[in-house]
Amino acid sequence: MATTTPTRGAHGSRPSRRAPKPMTPARQAWRSRLWRFDDKASPYAYIAPFFLVFGAFGLYPLIYTGWIALHRVEMTGLDQMEWVGWANFSTILQDSEFWTAVTNTFVIGVISTVPQLMMALGLAHLLNYKLRASTFWRTVILTPYATSVASAALVFALVFRADGGLLNWVLSFFGAGETNWVNGHWTSNIAIAVIVIWRWTGYNTLIYLAAMQAVPSDLYEAASIDGASRWQQFRNVTIPALRPTILFTIVISTIGSMQLFGEPLLLEGGVNGAQGGTEHQYETLSIYLYNYGWNLGHLGPAAAVAWAMLVLLLLIAAINWLIGRYARKTAA
Amino acid sequence: MRITRTVAGRRRRAAVMATTGLTATALLLTGCSDSDSDSGEADANGNITLTVADFGQFGYKEAGLFAKYHELHPNITVKENTTAEEKVYYPKFLQQLNTGSGLADVQGIEVGRIKELVDTKADAFVDLAKVVDTDQWVNWKALQASTDEGKVIGAGTDIGPMSICYRRDLFEQAGLPADREAVAAKVAGGWEDYLKLGEEYKKKAPAGTFFMDSASAMYNGVVSSDSEQYYSKDGKPIYKESAGVKAGWNLAAEAVDKKLTQGLAQFSPPWQAALRKGSIATVACPAWMAAQISTYAGDAFKGKWDIARTPGETAANWGGSFLSVPAKGKHVKEAGELVKWLTAPEQQAAVFKAVGVFPSNKGAYELADVKGAKLEYFNNAPIGEIYAQEAQVIPAAVLGPKDGIIKDSISTQINNMEQRGTKPDKAWDDAVEAIDKVIG
Amino acid sequence: MTTTSTVTTPDRRGVSKTVVRPGEPPRRARFRPGAGRQHHAGPFAYVALAVVGLGSLFPLYWTLVTASRTQDEVLDTPPPLLPGGKLFDNLEAAWEQAHLGTAILNTFIVSCCITAATLFFCTLAGYAFAKMRFKGRGVLMTMVIATLTIPPQLSVVPLFMMMSDIGWGGQLESVIFPTLVSAFGVFFMRQYLLEALPYELIEAGRMDGANNLRIVRSIVLPVARPAMMVLGMLTFVQTWNDFFWPYLALNQENPTLQVALGQLSASYVPDQSIIMAGALISTVPLLVVFVIFGKQIVGGIMAGAVKG
Repeated sequence: MATTTPTRGAHGSRPSRRAPKPMTPARQAWRSRLWRFDDKASPYAYIAPFFLVFGAFGLYPLIYTGWIALHRVEMTGLDQMEWVGWANFSTILQDSEFWTAVTNTFVIGVISTVPQLMMALGLAHLLNYKLRASTFWRTVILTPYATSVASAALVFALVFRADGGLLNWVLSFFGAGETNWVNGHWTSNIAIAVIVIWRWTGYNTLIYLAAMQAVPSDLYEAASIDGASRWQQFRNVTIPALRPTILFTIVISTIGSMQLFGEPLLLEGGVNGAQGGTEHQYETLSIYLYNYGWNLGHLGPAAAVAWAMLVLLLLIAAINWLIGRYARKTAA
Repeated sequence: MRITRTVAGRRRRAAVMATTGLTATALLLTGCSDSDSDSGEADANGNITLTVADFGQFGYKEAGLFAKYHELHPNITVKENTTAEEKVYYPKFLQQLNTGSGLADVQGIEVGRIKELVDTKADAFVDLAKVVDTDQWVNWKALQASTDEGKVIGAGTDIGPMSICYRRDLFEQAGLPADREAVAAKVAGGWEDYLKLGEEYKKKAPAGTFFMDSASAMYNGVVSSDSEQYYSKDGKPIYKESAGVKAGWNLAAEAVDKKLTQGLAQFSPPWQAALRKGSIATVACPAWMAAQISTYAGDAFKGKWDIARTPGETAANWGGSFLSVPAKGKHVKEAGELVKWLTAPEQQAAVFKAVGVFPSNKGAYELADVKGAKLEYFNNAPIGEIYAQEAQVIPAAVLGPKDGIIKDSISTQINNMEQRGTKPDKAWDDAVEAIDKVIG
Repeated sequence: MTTTSTVTTPDRRGVSKTVVRPGEPPRRARFRPGAGRQHHAGPFAYVALAVVGLGSLFPLYWTLVTASRTQDEVLDTPPPLLPGGKLFDNLEAAWEQAHLGTAILNTFIVSCCITAATLFFCTLAGYAFAKMRFKGRGVLMTMVIATLTIPPQLSVVPLFMMMSDIGWGGQLESVIFPTLVSAFGVFFMRQYLLEALPYELIEAGRMDGANNLRIVRSIVLPVARPAMMVLGMLTFVQTWNDFFWPYLALNQENPTLQVALGQLSASYVPDQSIIMAGALISTVPLLVVFVIFGKQIVGGIMAGAVKG
């Protein structure tokens, strides 16, 4: 990185393809000013589209959300905003449904992330062996990633159906199978977690696999000289080396579970899906936001929910950071 | 270096051209899709397609009216988009009104929503007072769709005079009278009698059957006979004190307590499935409900259903709809003509004859098709006779902007009592909480 | 560094591969991943992989089964496990009832526009962050990474109001423009170009008197091409499957496939097998892409992961 940017056309070391015309000094000064401007401005021009689009459709709406959250705005009259102060926030904070949604989001987040990442770790370990047709296996376990939320939710809706569902039929051979999955709090959350796990395990597996392959082999050699078994190598070499990657996947999965929308919306479908079940038993924060804004037509509280989500995200980020720092300290 | 450059140059050109090409094509296609080629402008011969978006069962297709309209106007084809559940239909419709995009030429509106649209969205609709003669309608029906200035945003399609739909065969098996006069006599004392009948049914009920689909249907039947339901005349929400709501809620709780219901959310897929399997003995039945029953129960139960007069003496109206023409539609004029035609007495009568959706156009009541109408599916029940008497005396109900969603919130909580064993007090608190959230 | 064939350092292009930058420690010796300890997989590993593989594929297979049966057969006990003969009837019904023709066209337009724009803008920005020096680079790059963590939920309310306001409500523009660039794309391209683009190449270009734009066109883009392909495919898959914002922004008259599918299940038809036929239509194109480019996509995800 310490290189100095080479000056263009310096030393005249190599003639450019077009033969250089003799230049007047004034012209030369003009050109060099142009070049300097080019050098100064180009990087900004290259990154400008990203920041412009992000500013217009990301940052500005994010801040504007906070402003809307302080107003009464109805779906029936989008152009009328009436100042209500913190009323929307106190409305949602006093709403038991909001806390149900927070709990559900958290529960589904945990019961989908933890098994998912553990399975991914195990699978990555398997894929890290010398395998026949290794690309085939990798592609197969990644296939669910190509399936959309909507398709996945719809097919799993049939699997988890109470009446004539695939899962209940399979369970009936074990003397169970009377479960009305979408009706119960835990069962519906599990059903949603299963969809998430199905779609994302393969993706995380590949990320772990890549990280495993980047672990320097001399570490393993040293370990095996010390007489460490495969399991000990996995625990004492692989896992510590993967720690940053694992933290990264946890962060990504956490953000992902904050966004759960299609799965709960379509698991039961219809009106029940749009409010996360008749007793909101599987309502997530995104559904709550959608229901408030788009079904009930009150955009003010919906915006307040968005900001509450932002606060939750920041909280999670802080916790993650603390854990990461603690982990680094103990490792050192 | 130079070699790399030329190779790179060729690649670069290819890449740039590919990118430009892709973007250009895509933008071009976007441009095309904006004008929505399939239902947009008239083609060279002046042929146009009118879209009608509705919900539940309007019965036009069943009565063959769209085909007939095409015969009368060969250049116009009508396409219908039906959403099963009105609760799903309305939020999307509202959204489309806001954005002015995705609207059909003709949109259905349910009575529980009409007040909100009259209050807040009247500008988004064509004034139908200039197209149809509003005096033709039952008086209160036309008023429901009018603004204070007299603009009319919806032409009435149907109203929902109440009755009881029941399964003759199941009644017989349970040792109850199956004749419609006898059934009507049994419930003549009102909805309490209906519950008593349910208890009788339950004693000898055929295995796997339930007296009613959901107590929420009965609740709506009870509330429908009040003129003040959820809002007072001066526009205040009064659902917490409303006598009709209280009576309906208590009866519903009682029905749940006595296990007289199967506990199915009406119009949901499980509800449809139950009708198809034939596990429901009675449904509190506004006229339009009959259409739903015959559709979902299917041919297997043709002639086994029947219709009896509503419990009690008070006439009631549950539901009913309007057709509107959004101002941003593509064929506003033609759409207005279609609405006028569809809501004219002859066509309303045809729909009534086909599926039992009862006309709101008074002109239709005099037609033989209505007066003498019998529904074959329902054992030739003389629905003309049953509903027409009632329709004349239905009280004008006070509407509120959130009627529809209040009704839905209460129905949901009744379903929760049925399906999840929620205690009535808790369910009522939940309903209040949900409704206060709705009213906002 | 990686085992995949797509993401290569530019040594295949005949450019000298020992790039030692002044002031940097020499690079770690190359090693074969896991060399020396890569045991052959035992039978257990194959069995376990086969079980997981079946689990991964079965729901897709069952989509086909349910899409080719009647509603009653699907809901029967035991449920059908073999495809039936109603596939085309169901496809036709789904096609008619959910505007699937419009939906496919729309999805294609949206995915292509966003993919093309993402590739173009993210390569430019990635190059700037990787190889150009300018004031505020570090801070700006941190901002890019920070935006990765902002879910779309946080801005949909004003976005919806804005779109209605400027007349894009329900139009494809409302879905295309907010996602024209992606922070992930910028990050991905930067990481790739950091390694793959030697300073010498840029330097040589400058010696030739090429201006910045020209360097981008004739040096950066060719070097970035393999990574652009991967990014393109990842973006395409993601856009094709995007659900939340399109579901709020679009309507059933002018939907993308996912929106049409969501609405098919929310309201239009109560018939499960028709809904599943819709699901099949929306999944098959991506599966085809996967079968053809599976190796590249797998490699791309892994390459992105190592560097991230």
